[in-house]
Amino acid sequence: MVLALQSLPLRRIRALRATTSVRSGTHRAQSFLIVATLLYRGSHLTVAVMAVAHRPWHLPLQHLGLAAALGMSALVYGTALRRGWFDPRHIWADVVVTGCVLPLALCAWGGVREPPTIAWAMLLGGSASATAAIALDRLHALAVVALLVVTHLIGYQAVDATPAVIVGHLNSLVSSAVMTYAFRWYLLRQGRLLDEANARALEAEAHKARYAERLEHHRALHDTVLATLTTLAAGAVDANAPEVRQRCAREAAYLRRLIQQTADEVPHREIGAALEEAVGSVESLGLRVTAQYHALPAVPPEVAAALGHAVREALNNVRRHAGTGHAYLTATGDPDGSGGAVVTVVDRGPGFDPARCEPGLGLRGSVHGRMTEAGGRATVDTAPGEGVRVELRWPA
Amino acid sequence: MARVITVAVVDDDRMLRDGLRAWLGDVPDLRLVATAATVGELLADPSPHRPDGPHGTAPPQADVVLLDLVLRDGSDPSDNIRRVLRTGSRVLMISTVPDRSRIIEAIRAGADGYLTKDHDLPTLVAAVKDLAEGRGAHSTELAFACAYDDSPARPRLSPRERQILLDYASGMTLKSAARRAGITVHTAKDYLDRVKAKYQQAGRPTYTKLDLALRVREDSLDGG
Repeated sequence: MVLALQSLPLRRIRALRATTSVRSGTHRAQSFLIVATLLYRGSHLTVAVMAVAHRPWHLPLQHLGLAAALGMSALVYGTALRRGWFDPRHIWADVVVTGCVLPLALCAWGGVREPPTIAWAMLLGGSASATAAIALDRLHALAVVALLVVTHLIGYQAVDATPAVIVGHLNSLVSSAVMTYAFRWYLLRQGRLLDEANARALEAEAHKARYAERLEHHRALHDTVLATLTTLAAGAVDANAPEVRQRCAREAAYLRRLIQQTADEVPHREIGAALEEAVGSVESLGLRVTAQYHALPAVPPEVAAALGHAVREALNNVRRHAGTGHAYLTATGDPDGSGGAVVTVVDRGPGFDPARCEPGLGLRGSVHGRMTEAGGRATVDTAPGEGVRVELRWPA
Repeated sequence: MARVITVAVVDDDRMLRDGLRAWLGDVPDLRLVATAATVGELLADPSPHRPDGPHGTAPPQADVVLLDLVLRDGSDPSDNIRRVLRTGSRVLMISTVPDRSRIIEAIRAGADGYLTKDHDLPTLVAAVKDLAEGRGAHSTELAFACAYDDSPARPRLSPRERQILLDYASGMTLKSAARRAGITVHTAKDYLDRVKAKYQQAGRPTYTKLDLALRVREDSLDGG
């Protein structure tokens, strides 16, 4: 009769799901892209710092420009690293500030009119276009590349760069974007494939777990209901004998509980399995238990164990003191939807006067103690002639 | 109460019908007047299924019909209930497993009570007597189904009604539930009656004359 409704494979799946949900394939691909473009921008910033620091002319605008580029980079990549992906608004800001305004401002007011002096600022446009190509949608990315090409063309022409320098630079602007775009396409596709493969593996594992669970149920049914029915069908025993009827009633009650427990679409078996054990243990001692379950929540294993233990004690109390041979058990999710659990054990026996009578050691020690330990609470309600109602709540 | 209460049983399981016949045969105030596998069979009854009494005369009207929640003929439970109610009998639903959404549906359709089949004879007899005397029959499983009904169409319950419902659903006697709430048993029973009435009111269909005429025709067709 005692049946562990939660099988091991299910637990394993939950653990597996927990790890994969944190880092899916897509997520990993995105993290990689952030780091790769950050390194690209880092290399450009290194060149910029060296260029500004080692030039013999110390122009304030160069320093200001470098500070702006560093600030924008910190904003774009800092946010991306923190949130897991780029914010398109930051990308646009970076493109406008470091990609467009900075080179044009250096040309206009930087006081320098030679291509090498603005090369470091131009270089930053490459990493700006590379990042835009992966972080923005296709239309915006094209607009960014076009904008950068036009600005840089104007900028280099203003300092009279040779066509070779201009073409080389524009080529690097465009190819940076194309390259990262291709990388993104490939990596995301791989990530998706990986996710799909993972999902398939999980589904297969879940299927196996459900199968194992079904087998377990079948085995339990085989040992109880099927054995009883077969014996009765063979006519080998007197179906009206008290012990046969008792056994039939017990097994019918078990089937009823099984149906209730498996009725939920997303069953959480922790509490159900613990209660099933408690009920099984007292049923074999002759106590009839009418159980009703509804929407049992998922709880930590130690809480389920505490509930099971407390229910067993409460049921034993009914068996020893109520004198009715019948207990009512209900287990439900907390009606306020907070994810808690409420379990009651009720009998219709003589009850006791709570003011005069110390509740038995079972109720005080085991029930209260175990529930408090697990962060729950037990309340006993009774009056002479009115049965006992034990309510277990988690969390308290 | 000296009057004998007449009872009919509609259940597709013959063993259960026979079992109830044997069970109720020993109860002095109850008389089983008809058993049938479907509602159509019960309503058409030209009396071959009557367990006792003189044959050939029309069967006496059953005060209470014990109606299985789900019949094997695939008939709609609510429809079954309404057809039986139109004959003037009161309906006590019975089923093997407390299928909550169906219990709620049955109460909405006008059933007066619900019991699972694992109850002992005194509980069943008490419920039948309550219904026959015009009182509402209550059971923990019905209270449980109402207390944890999370369908969008559930009626609004007052906090007091809810508390009594929850306590009664947990298995407490009405007396203990009333004491816990600090009210009289009479008031507690009123609350439970009111909850059931709310369900029945919410489920009451507004029939047009045409609908009624169609139903009457359906019934007589089944009978032929």
